[in-house]
Amino acid sequence: MSAITVSHLQKIFQSKRKAAGLGASARSLFQSEYTTVEAVRDLSFEMQPGELLGFIGPNGAGKSTTIKMLTGILHPTSGDASVLGFTPWKERQKLAFQIGTVFGQRPQLWYHLPAVDTFTLFGKIYERDDAFTQKRIAFLSEAFEIGDLLETPVRKLSLGQRMRCEVAASLLHQPKLLLLDEPSIGLDVVAKQHIRDAIRTMSQEEGVGVLLTSHDAGDLEALCHRVIIINHGQIVYQDKVSNLKRKFLTRKTVEVRYAEEVNVNFNLEGMETLKTGRYGVKLSFDTRTTPADAVLMRLSAAGTLVDITISDPPLEEVIANIYGRQLSVDSGL
Amino acid sequence: MSNLKILLAVWKANLQSAMEYRVSFISQVLGMMLNNGMYFVIWVIFFDRFKEIRGWGVGDMYVTFGVSASAFGLVSLFFGNAFNLGDIITRGRLDYYLSLPRPVLLHTLTSRSVASGAGDFLYGILSFAVSGYFSAEALARFTLAILLAAIVFASFLVIVQSLAFWMGNATNLVTLAVNAMITFSIYPISIFDNTAKLILFTLVPAALMGAVPASFAIAFTWQTLAQLLIGAGAFLALAIFIFYFGLRRYESGSGIQVEI
Repeated sequence: MSAITVSHLQKIFQSKRKAAGLGASARSLFQSEYTTVEAVRDLSFEMQPGELLGFIGPNGAGKSTTIKMLTGILHPTSGDASVLGFTPWKERQKLAFQIGTVFGQRPQLWYHLPAVDTFTLFGKIYERDDAFTQKRIAFLSEAFEIGDLLETPVRKLSLGQRMRCEVAASLLHQPKLLLLDEPSIGLDVVAKQHIRDAIRTMSQEEGVGVLLTSHDAGDLEALCHRVIIINHGQIVYQDKVSNLKRKFLTRKTVEVRYAEEVNVNFNLEGMETLKTGRYGVKLSFDTRTTPADAVLMRLSAAGTLVDITISDPPLEEVIANIYGRQLSVDSGL
Repeated sequence: MSNLKILLAVWKANLQSAMEYRVSFISQVLGMMLNNGMYFVIWVIFFDRFKEIRGWGVGDMYVTFGVSASAFGLVSLFFGNAFNLGDIITRGRLDYYLSLPRPVLLHTLTSRSVASGAGDFLYGILSFAVSGYFSAEALARFTLAILLAAIVFASFLVIVQSLAFWMGNATNLVTLAVNAMITFSIYPISIFDNTAKLILFTLVPAALMGAVPASFAIAFTWQTLAQLLIGAGAFLALAIFIFYFGLRRYESGSGIQVEI
């Protein structure tokens, strides 16, 4: 049985429309105009138990709306979904015992209390006995390296530390499925890596399935087996991550800054210079033809590096690329 | 039973959270008691001049004010989110409660404790103690009365705040409704005519938060007990129905909040 089955799911929101200005505001008091926004359209997909599925797309693509319907927070306008055998919006409480959720923009830890107090409270909310909860807290503090943070009030934690505690809290009741909505939002590179490592470890050790939404292609590359890309509420692509990487995530951007002025020509095979300055350079390279270590060696040979950033192309660019390919296929080019 | 255990755990966390700021907690409690005392002085002066209004004396006012303050205090302490449920709905903050395996309304309401409520609660008991009606039997009736009055008040808040599911922003209406409820609950009911009384039992059920529970605490009658039980039961059922009916329209939110 699939962990998640989604069939023709649709969610329409009504949104009030008003022109700018005081006059328009006054008119809208008596005559309101509404527009319908189709946040999710005719969405169908499946996810297997234990799978790590990336659900990605740009802002406003419908990712969060979908995950909220799958946790029972939102009622769909039409369509069906089954999560671990439950219809989320009809059997929300039963389902909640079996899944863990993290909404990156909505903290679940009590702000003024140390995380361990929320953990203990969650133990009660999920009807686990004290011995189980304590054992689980010990296990999770090791897995997420949060042992030193647990007794500090949450308001005093950094965003990265807090997110590690948030994800750990969502695993306290040993769920079968983890639904993570933007768990890496706003985190720096090191904190993102910490979170990704911990999620991967938990998935491997406990066989937890993970459905992860993100608008960061890096999350997907680091964590997921399979990816679904949605845009404007519709699936535009679904495949194994390895295939996506091969076809679309073929370029990386690297930006470096030197301690002293440099004047070197970086135009090597497979590398394209995007921007040059007296103290730095930004270039992109094709990962299929040019290995990252060759690029880094070339860059470090040019001078003393003080800063380096390697990033994936923005997801918008990947999606535009996918659209481009589809159009070519459709038109027979 | 498991829900009761969880409620106790949530209330304990609320208390722990409030205790993080001990000075603020104590000053809020004492400040609210002082505030209530200052407010009540006006009634003491009034009844010193007029003795009674249509059979309603200063002792009755002490009990009425006491019931209302204690009921308000109980709701603030144990169902603190009843005061900002509309805001929680509008800003999409129900997401947190909906993602946990608990009854969403109960869990939301109990997840906040307003520390000043302890001041209201204690002041209400003090007010009853000095009313001249105090006895062990009356205290038992007073306890039941404030519990039922608190149910009516919390239910009324939930009903008004749930309008946010349809209206989007119900803040001003909520403020108006809460003020009307509190103001009318501490007026002597004998000054109102029948139409006004009908409103005070239905649209703004202030009579069920002040005059009726106060009458019940002062002297037992089956009529006041029945009014309280039926009123509390009906408003509670209506509140649950309206909230869950509205919940189907819940739209969540992006979570990025901009304060203007």
